[in-house]
Amino acid sequence: MGLDIRIPLGLMFLVTGGMMAIYGFFTRGSGIYDRSLGIDINLIWGLVMFVFGLVMFMLGRRTKWQDDPVHPRPWEERPRGH
Amino acid sequence: MNLTYIDWLIMLVYFIFVLGIGFALKRYMRTSNDFFLAGRSIPAWICGLAFISANLGAQEVIGMGASGAKYGIATSHFYWIGAIPAMVFVGIFMMPFYYGSKARSVPEYLRMRFDEKTRAVNAFSFAIMTVFSSGISMYAMALLIQTLGLFKGIIPDPYVFHVSIVLSAIIVLGYIFLGGLTSAIYNEVLQFFLIVAGFAPLVFLGLKHVGGWHGIQQTLPTAFTHSWRGMAHANTNPLGVEWFGLAMGLGFVLSFGYWCTDFLVVQRAMAADSEESARRVPLIAAIPKMFFPFLVILPGLIAVSIVPKAMNKVASTQTAGITAPAPAAAADGSAAIAAPKGIIPVKTNPVTGKAVLDEKGQPVYNYDLAIPVLLLNYFPTGILGLGLTALLASFMSGMAGNVTAFNTVWTYDIYQSYIKKDGTDEHYLWMGRMATIGGIILSIAAAYAATSFNNIMDALQLVFSFVNAPLFATFLLGMFWKRTTGHGAFIGLLSGTGAALLHHGLTIPMGANPGIHGGWLSIVHTYPSDMAMNFWTAIFAFATNLIVTIVISLMTKSRPDEELVGLVYSLTPKPVEHHMRWWEKPSTLAIGVLALLVVLNLVFA
Repeated sequence: MGLDIRIPLGLMFLVTGGMMAIYGFFTRGSGIYDRSLGIDINLIWGLVMFVFGLVMFMLGRRTKWQDDPVHPRPWEERPRGH
Repeated sequence: MNLTYIDWLIMLVYFIFVLGIGFALKRYMRTSNDFFLAGRSIPAWICGLAFISANLGAQEVIGMGASGAKYGIATSHFYWIGAIPAMVFVGIFMMPFYYGSKARSVPEYLRMRFDEKTRAVNAFSFAIMTVFSSGISMYAMALLIQTLGLFKGIIPDPYVFHVSIVLSAIIVLGYIFLGGLTSAIYNEVLQFFLIVAGFAPLVFLGLKHVGGWHGIQQTLPTAFTHSWRGMAHANTNPLGVEWFGLAMGLGFVLSFGYWCTDFLVVQRAMAADSEESARRVPLIAAIPKMFFPFLVILPGLIAVSIVPKAMNKVASTQTAGITAPAPAAAADGSAAIAAPKGIIPVKTNPVTGKAVLDEKGQPVYNYDLAIPVLLLNYFPTGILGLGLTALLASFMSGMAGNVTAFNTVWTYDIYQSYIKKDGTDEHYLWMGRMATIGGIILSIAAAYAATSFNNIMDALQLVFSFVNAPLFATFLLGMFWKRTTGHGAFIGLLSGTGAALLHHGLTIPMGANPGIHGGWLSIVHTYPSDMAMNFWTAIFAFATNLIVTIVISLMTKSRPDEELVGLVYSLTPKPVEHHMRWWEKPSTLAIGVLALLVVLNLVFA
């Protein structure tokens, strides 16, 4: 299939992780982290997700899915001469 | 529950991506093969993750967390014994027939191997089951959203349930309608990573709080932290089932019956880009699957390990329907040993708001809320949005898996076989999309049926278990004994279901009243637990099907060998593996998976 799943997967983690990390940065030291045992879990886990998203996105971009032909499908006969 | 803008933003991002994938894939849906089989062009690792994600429905995440809290680490048997060996078997031995036969669905394989009537039984029962399963997922999600008060202050209380149902239906319908099976598979991969991302920090924080695995071992009774201890007898372990019933009932009959024959999961492997990939799919899936107990069962154990000091904090958790647990439940050491409750909330009556009491006047605990309560306990705003999104994703992946399996079986095995045989490919593609809409509408109806007739849903699930229990014997004989005939398979299947019904009518679990729990004919045997009875029902159904199929097959004429090439083990050339290096062979992967499984069982024995 033409679309490499690692691209939307990577993008989603980049956006979500990025948002969490930024939120975590601006709320560091806040009382909301009493629940998470004093750990700024938004910043830490947001960064982990961001890095994961970046790796996935880069891996997905390496494969040029735009050039991947829709034809032929595995069950479709290849035209003679190919 | 107090959610802030960041929580809502995270949820919104997820839903945008889910629907975006559907839109991006729309242009590739040119034939019915693209829509129903994902063009048989998906790499093994993607299908592998979708293979387990499609199974990650409500029962998995919420149910396993609840069982972890109730029974302890022994719940992991549902993964280690109840899934991995079957996944290895389907990958190594059965996938060459499913994929190599070019069958488009599991019922179609039954038609190719046996006959039309055997396919019809499987196709109709499967189609009905998928719709109800999807409806149950939808119902459970709406109920959870209502209980957690997710839309409190945004949507008036009486409408929360309806809005939840409609929203989830629209989203699932949107991405399947646009991108078919590929869209469902891609979203299942997204959901898989999201579930890991949402639950891994929960386990980390929980373990840190309760002193790690060592802390749990010190807090909980021994039976909760050892999966094999006390398994010699049903009365000496929390599951209430002995090792033979567990290994044969769960580990063999039920597990192989589900993972090796259920089109919901097999469809994901059939979408792979080659037969080699299709064989690797369940094996790749087995690796994360065996570690899933640490994501879904461990939170249950953590929830019951939390000491009273933390409970007080939970009591102040701002949730709509969650009542703080009775302090005596875990504050008192001896009570904790008998049945640890930790932060598990008491079940409340949604109308009166009062605690539900059992016949002894003791409060009934709502174990289904083990994971949601833990999320609220440890997650501050921000990551709470991620955790809730992961929970919603798990419900949706369960729903979508059922809907894609339904639209394929409906279109190929029912519509094309019995209603319109000579339609164009375009017509079947259109029908697939209409079946998606129909499947979602029926799921909504099933979800509402569950709200009004809870017992009817229980009864239906029971009937489905009777239909499923004997199924593996039919496939086992069909694939590995060329003498098996269509008449044998058909009569064997019906006899197996009949045996399951009869067994249920004649036995009962301890402490239950005759009725839906069993014993509605007469009581000839009492099982120590519900679980033991389920496992033994499956064993009887399987054995009956096996014997009847063999006997009838020997009495009827089998098909000539040449018609069974590609469908039966002894008549099919073995998959060529010479071009693969030793570590690329599916058998190497299978040995690795089984070795890991042994290690896990030994560590947590």
